[in-house]
Order: sequence, then structure tokens, then C-alpha cells
Amino acid sequence: MVGSQEFRNKIRSMISQKYNLEFLGSNFDQIASFISESKAQKIYSWVQGVIEKKIQPITISSKKKYKDWRINELMAFRHPFNIDNVEYRIMFIKVKNSFYIEFHLGDHKYYDTVRKSLDLKKGSY
Amino acid sequence: MIIYNPCNEELIKERINEAQKILDSIPAKYCFISGSFLFKKDYKDIDVFVISRTKKQIKPIDKKINIIMIDFNDLHSLFYHSVSKSCIAKNILPKKPLKVTITDYWNVVNEAIPTIMNEKDKYHKNIRFLILYTEYFKNNRILDTYELTREIEKFKNFKEILEYVKREIPIVINKSIKKSYIKKYFYTQAGYYKNSLEYESQRYLYELSHSIAKGAA
Repeated sequence: MVGSQEFRNKIRSMISQKYNLEFLGSNFDQIASFISESKAQKIYSWVQGVIEKKIQPITISSKKKYKDWRINELMAFRHPFNIDNVEYRIMFIKVKNSFYIEFHLGDHKYYDTVRKSLDLKKGSY
Repeated sequence: MIIYNPCNEELIKERINEAQKILDSIPAKYCFISGSFLFKKDYKDIDVFVISRTKKQIKPIDKKINIIMIDFNDLHSLFYHSVSKSCIAKNILPKKPLKVTITDYWNVVNEAIPTIMNEKDKYHKNIRFLILYTEYFKNNRILDTYELTREIEKFKNFKEILEYVKREIPIVINKSIKKSYIKKYFYTQAGYYKNSLEYESQRYLYELSHSIAKGAA
């Protein structure tokens, strides 16, 4: 298992930016502590894919405000995975052509909340 | 117990009793079962939909049961109209007139394209809304969960879906709404994708929104 701090540090070091990336999620530390070494490697390689622009982003045309930005200035990268048959999702938020601002990790309930705040409609079924 | 089956699809008889037992175990007035459990011998999970005003979690009696909560405010959605079209319900289900907009449809397309490109081999779950909306705007037909699965199974791979989207959506949208609105809306959308053309999905959506807008020109 990887520790939640180790998990954060690794992602921070991968993106290497001055802007402070926020790690968010109602049970972030608990979920991160469930992640096995092999699963963590898969997540890191997905993050690498995001950095190398190999992972496709979701952009939203909403003009609503989201913190210091308008939603249409952001892009979201989504990564679903499961641990012991429980589905979790990562939502990695970036300012278009700029830095990463948030790394969300949570269950589907938390994910729905993040979607709502980003003005994304209800998820698939 | 009420059986909704407007297309006379063949229900598996033994499943009707099982469905009743499951629905009786759900502490909600409005709940129903839809999907492969009713129509397919082999099924992965049992989709139980519960219409509720509260967000209270319901513990299923079986591990295979997947509880999906539907808010009363969402009864006008294409999703609800689709999942409740052919189903077994505990009581007569509440109905609200369908409300679907082109903006809803485009939101679905906008999210489906990057998702399909990211999960090339696992697209089945991710294209349900895409096919549901496209078939609705194309043929004015609401597919139930069984019909939707059949439509999805027609695609051999993700490339066929991308081809289908490119071919169908400009025609479907251009016959559905006013040309002046299409031009304004889709040129604006194209503008949002323009800054991210280094991504394949955004390039695809940029070209698609342009093609829709050109169709209206």
C-alpha cells in the first residue's frame, strides 16, 4: 500500500509546477491508503499520460465562475478505477494551456458533487 | 406490481417473481427494475431505480443489486423516460413530460468523445447516453434499456462510433432546430475547442461543431 502523503508527493513531483496543487476528496487519505503499489503505478502512468497530452480532457463551455476562473477556462481529466469492487474516480483539473489546480479522489457520490460544481450534467449509468 | 413492456419484448418469466421480491425489499413507494436482468439469461447486475426526494442510502439485499437514485426533479429527463419505458415497478410510476434540449445533447457528445478516446476498449457503458440522445433526435424514439443495449452491440469498435457521430450528428441536429440558432451556438462551441486543438478529442469536437454550423449555413 502507498501512504497518502507519498501518493501526493509523487504526483506533485511529476507535474513540477510552482502553483500549489490541491488534493481534494471527502475521504482522500483513507482511499489513498487502500491503493496498492501496482494500482498506484497505474495512476502515476495515467498522470504521466495527462502531462504528455495523451489523455483526452473534458472541456465545458459554461461561463460560471469556479474559484478564480470561469469553467470554460478549465479542462478535466477523469480516471475511473476500482478497489475491491468499489468504484472510485480521479478528477484532475487543469487551467487550459497552464497549470494544474486540483486533484480530486473519491467515490461516485463525491464525484457527482465535483461534476455539479464544474457544471457537468449527471453522469452515465 | 406493474409490468411496463410497450414493445412486447420477451421477459424471462422466473425473473418476474425475483423482481417482485427485490422491489418488496426496497423501502420506497416508487422503485422499478429495468435492464438485462429482465431480458437476458446472463446478466452482470440488477439495476434497481428508486425515485426519491431524500438522498438516504438504501442497502441492497443482494450484492448484484445496483441501486440508482432518481430525484423527483429528474422525471422529465430522457434518462428516466428510457429506463422506465420497459420495466417492472412496485407501483404505477409517476410521469412528467419529456424535456430535452440540444444543449443537453451537445453536453453528452462533448463528454462522450474524450471518454471514448480514452477508454477505447471499454466504450459500451460510456456511449449509452450518446446513442440514446442521437436515436431520440434522429427518429423521435425513446429507446428502452434493452433496445439501447442492442443498438450499442451493433458497433464493432470505438472507431465505428466516432464515424457514426461524424456522419449522423450534423444531419440530426440540422433537422431538429432553427438554422440561426445552430450557427450561433455551434460557432461559439467551436471557439471553445479552438484553444485545445493539440488534443485529438478537442480537434474532433472542433471539426464536428464546424460541420454542424456549416450545415446550417
